[in-house]
Amino acid sequence: MSKYKLIILRHGEGAWNKENRFCSWVDQKLNREGVEEARNCGKQLRSLKFEFDLVFTSVLNRSIHTAWLILEELGQEWVPVESSWRLNERHYGALIGLNREKMALNHGEEQVRLWRRSYNVTPPPIEESHPYYHEIYSDRRYKLCDVPLDQLPRSESLKDVLERLLPYWNERIAPEVLKGKTILISAHGNSSRALLKHLEGISDEDIINITLPTGVPILLELDENLHAVGTHQFLGDQEAIREAIKKVDDQGKVKKVPTSPSTG
Amino acid sequence: MAAYKLVLTWHGKSAWNPENRFSSWYDANLSLAGHKEAKRSGQALRDAGYEFDICFTSVQKRAIQTLWTVLDAIDQMWLPVVRTWCLNEQHYGGLTGLNKAETAAEHGEAQVKIWRRSYHVPPPPMEPDHPFYSNISKDRRYEGLTEDQLPSWESLKGTTARGLPFWNEEIIPQIKERQRVLIAAHGNSLRGIVKHLEGLSEEAIMELNLPTGIPIVYELDNNLKPIKLMQFLGNEETIRKAMEAVAAQGKVKK
Repeated sequence: MSKYKLIILRHGEGAWNKENRFCSWVDQKLNREGVEEARNCGKQLRSLKFEFDLVFTSVLNRSIHTAWLILEELGQEWVPVESSWRLNERHYGALIGLNREKMALNHGEEQVRLWRRSYNVTPPPIEESHPYYHEIYSDRRYKLCDVPLDQLPRSESLKDVLERLLPYWNERIAPEVLKGKTILISAHGNSSRALLKHLEGISDEDIINITLPTGVPILLELDENLHAVGTHQFLGDQEAIREAIKKVDDQGKVKKVPTSPSTG
Repeated sequence: MAAYKLVLTWHGKSAWNPENRFSSWYDANLSLAGHKEAKRSGQALRDAGYEFDICFTSVQKRAIQTLWTVLDAIDQMWLPVVRTWCLNEQHYGGLTGLNKAETAAEHGEAQVKIWRRSYHVPPPPMEPDHPFYSNISKDRRYEGLTEDQLPSWESLKGTTARGLPFWNEEIIPQIKERQRVLIAAHGNSLRGIVKHLEGLSEEAIMELNLPTGIPIVYELDNNLKPIKLMQFLGNEETIRKAMEAVAAQGKVKK
């Protein structure tokens, strides 16, 4: 029997989404399309008369900005917002910044799909020589986490994401849900997948096939033990949502170049 | 040598400012000009290299949006933000929504100045038949307030009275723990803080003009007393213009 409702969402596009690169812990801003996605998300939630009590985000700008835009659309800027690294996007290690299509060309579509969607495959760790290493680890926000800087991840599987997310869910978010608060979690593709896997009891094999579209509110209904009642639902135009999911899935594919007709 | 630094910012112009209306507890949006002021505020803080550890703001969107714009400009969107009704603008009671020049024409410039700048004198209360009564008093954000806490009018004294406990219990401990604090609030809620910090008299507070949309920096000693006059971040011309504009609002348009 559904007792609680939770809204989770994956922020909209950033510049690297367009370039099909693993953004991960690099602090990209939303681009113009991403801002519009967030506003549309907010409009959708407003039409459904959602009244939030608390919002959780990661410490990455794009999830925070998405939350702000949604709250603006709802006229609920006054709702408290809390940010934690534990909701950050999955740490893609050495793959950060690399273009997914090029990787598919070099390593094969299947390897890229495994890296992106499997449960316990960890990409190679980010090294100090990586072009984005210092941009990430010298940022002050990572000196203020509940874990020392040198113990923050250098690479993660989806399983690792859930391991660092779960204490935050259990200790910070779940108690608020149990108090009957309407919660919005503005997060990322993989941190959202990890949380859904946990709440819905999705198997390690099945999670590979779960893709979340950007900028679409995901409703999860929970029972009194905070287990999902039914599967997650995408709120909005269902056809558009199917297109959006396909768009995300296709990022890991090599684009087929049309062959020109032979002459002579 | 300052033990602590504190930055205050009064939000920029709201959608009601061009109409010169008392916004009070009405949740007016920032106007385009207000957004530009907020951006300029953020840029001034960014150029001066300011880092903060915690932010405080009201539950009114014009302050929150100003804060968000500033946090974006200084690339510190991840900072913890505490929102509280205790930092709301003064509740102007029955004057909420009224045009300031029209009110001056009806009650006289002197009465408007008193209402706007006096410490003790309250405006008339907001009655249940006021057009904004439900919009404000029944708003979900104020559900947790007791009947005693939820005002239908406030003098500056009352605004300060509900702000001071929060200042003492929530903000001061953060400052003393060397947390660098940014407060984004409103003209009269900030005036209350300034009065307390500088030990201003009730007469002096009536004469005090704070500029909108410009960061105000206080350097404080170990006892949280300012070691020099408040400083503004921005260019001189902007500051001078802003202070003049605020003083002119209460005058009747000729």
